[in-house]
Amino acid sequence: MLDILHDYWLLLLIGQYPNGPLGGLAMTLILAVAGILLAFPCGIAIALATTSPYAALRTLANGLVYLVRGLPLLMFIFWAYFAIPALLGENAPGVLTMLIALVIYESVYLAEVVRAGIEALPGGQTEAARSLGLTNMQTKRLIILPQALYNMLPSLLSQFISTIKETSLGYVISVNELTFAASQVNSILLTQPFQVYLLLAIIYFLLCFLLTAAVRWLEKRVEQGRRERKVKS
Amino acid sequence: MIVFTGVEKRYGDYRALIEINAAVGRGEVVIVCGPSGSGKSTLIRTVNRLEEIESGTITVDGVDTHSSELDINRIRSGIGFVFQQFNLFPHLNALQNVALGLLKVKRMHRGEAQERAQALLSRVGLGHKAGAFPGELSGGQQQRVAIARALAQNPPVMLFDEPTSALDPEMVGEVLAVMRELAAEGMTMMCVTHEMGFAR
Repeated sequence: MLDILHDYWLLLLIGQYPNGPLGGLAMTLILAVAGILLAFPCGIAIALATTSPYAALRTLANGLVYLVRGLPLLMFIFWAYFAIPALLGENAPGVLTMLIALVIYESVYLAEVVRAGIEALPGGQTEAARSLGLTNMQTKRLIILPQALYNMLPSLLSQFISTIKETSLGYVISVNELTFAASQVNSILLTQPFQVYLLLAIIYFLLCFLLTAAVRWLEKRVEQGRRERKVKS
Repeated sequence: MIVFTGVEKRYGDYRALIEINAAVGRGEVVIVCGPSGSGKSTLIRTVNRLEEIESGTITVDGVDTHSSELDINRIRSGIGFVFQQFNLFPHLNALQNVALGLLKVKRMHRGEAQERAQALLSRVGLGHKAGAFPGELSGGQQQRVAIARALAQNPPVMLFDEPTSALDPEMVGEVLAVMRELAAEGMTMMCVTHEMGFAR
């Protein structure tokens, strides 16, 4: 297995770059980071809609949340794969297709995290802000979101870890990411699938394990921060 | 200054407020007391429309606070409200808590707003705590910051919803002292409280 790593580490790390498209672990991370960063503002918008005082907006946003949560990510990948060429009239690169599917999917999960953060705050925060004459949007932007997002930092990072693993589904539409690179290695070697896919598993595991450790650390920090800020009575 | 006319508030079938007719005159301090569950807090919360009412009218300084045509945010900025649980914003320090309304509702310039906020903190005896976060302040100090925050936009009316009920006994005095001072200055006040000593 070490000899596989020794021979193919560059392919697993960056794909065929610079002679071909960028891929491997680098593309996995790019997809996950870009997916989460683009999904984040969408998630906040959906969360604000689900906690909005306007019933129509709430219904619409909740409908979207239920719909997306009720479907597997693979569906969205297929839909994006076939819908984008139909809409644009030309083929989109696999990375873009995967990114669009990821953003739709992650937006909704991030929205649920943000909503939980908003609903966990005491109602008195909103009442106090509104009593000063702040509008609903000012209240959300200045009072609610800063506290909710801070408290939910660990969950947001957890969602990022899930996203890293979910990028592997890009394999089905031949996105050049880590799993794709590993399968390339496997087709070159032909006789060592167990070693190749064990190596792949170890890479995913190490990455996610390190990030999970970071989440634990962050959880403690946030908990400490909340205790210090917590309103004593 | 505050006039209730035939105010009625229901929670489903339960009638929390029935036919309330009352008035608070300018410069008057009115204490609302009564047993728990009798609707005191509900009543005071209807004034700035934290609670909606089913029928009747409430006017503050001649303005109907439940009129759907008026900008409720403008009306609220002219009514100071102090909560039982203080409800300071824990991510902002004392000065930022007090200055927030001035900056975001009154659109005052930062320097001016901070100066006024500092003056208000000094007025409630906390000028030296401007940089402290709510979590670093005692209950009594937090409630005094909350009073300064409610006073910031110069409201002609102040509402207090059990302002001392969540405080340790030794901290009640400092909050009542600030309220007494306000009353002496001629502020129109409506206060829900169990503090009969203060009521007298």
